[in-house]
Amino acid sequence: MDFSIRAANVEDCKDIARMIRELAEYEKVADNVRVTQRDLEQDGFSKNPFFHGIVAEVPEQHRTKEGHTKIGYALYFYSYSSWTGRAIYMEDLYVMPEFRGKGIGKALMSKLGLAAGCNQLNFTVLDWNKSSLDFYLSQGCFDITDKMGYHCMRCEGEALEHLAQP
Amino acid sequence: MDFSIRAANVEDCKDIARMIRELAEYEKVADNVRVTQRGHTKIGYALYFYSYSSWTGRAIYMEDLYVMPEFRGKGIGKALMSKVAQLGLAAGCNQLNFTVLDWNKSSLDFYLSQGCFDITDKMGYHCMRCEGEALEHLAQP
Repeated sequence: MDFSIRAANVEDCKDIARMIRELAEYEKVADNVRVTQRDLEQDGFSKNPFFHGIVAEVPEQHRTKEGHTKIGYALYFYSYSSWTGRAIYMEDLYVMPEFRGKGIGKALMSKLGLAAGCNQLNFTVLDWNKSSLDFYLSQGCFDITDKMGYHCMRCEGEALEHLAQP
Repeated sequence: MDFSIRAANVEDCKDIARMIRELAEYEKVADNVRVTQRGHTKIGYALYFYSYSSWTGRAIYMEDLYVMPEFRGKGIGKALMSKVAQLGLAAGCNQLNFTVLDWNKSSLDFYLSQGCFDITDKMGYHCMRCEGEALEHLAQP
């Protein structure tokens, strides 16, 4: 199947917002999505963006029955490892179910791998998500939670406000 | 003990590089850390960057938090982390994320006491990485 991979622009935010909700449903936590199309426009396409996007598109003749031609995306931002330097963090990678198995996910991820000067690509995967885990392992990724014992930690809501008190 | 917390400037990089190495030693061989006092006044640091959650929006990621061993237990680590939280909230962030090694009980206890929680344990998130030859190979079109 013919498809193209390109940098996201601000007009893609409507479809990215749609696919973020689809990904959250896949991860079984659709209620957790608070980010809106407008948030994406402001946070991803202003002077100091918090993230960057990549979109996978198919030609009109392959559009979904709802009429979508933007059928996959990746969100990423630049990060830093104090040991190895510049890195990239892949926040989301998603391809609509009917377009999987055609190399689109790999092509999206491959585009991230080209980011200049970065020598690490980091991301997270849910432990029950075997098909994604198998895909990532096949791409030469490894699990640093299993291998090195890293646990992801978070502080949010009232606890974060309390922590910020001087 | 009197101490101050401030944003780093470029002149701090020498001490930050030193403390990064000290932190790396701690994370690999916790029992064997030896730190000599050679007149350093910069005795702790935090590194952070802005990040993003596609569900909840702007976030802040704390890459490193370190206080030299002889200065621990005095509230300096909390003050550094508090500053990161303040900066995050000021920028519209609603999450502070970081990682901790599973054997690092004293750090884990500290973070839990600050109201943090473990999303690897709670939600099953695993950290994944691609680097070196595998990353170069992945980048092939």
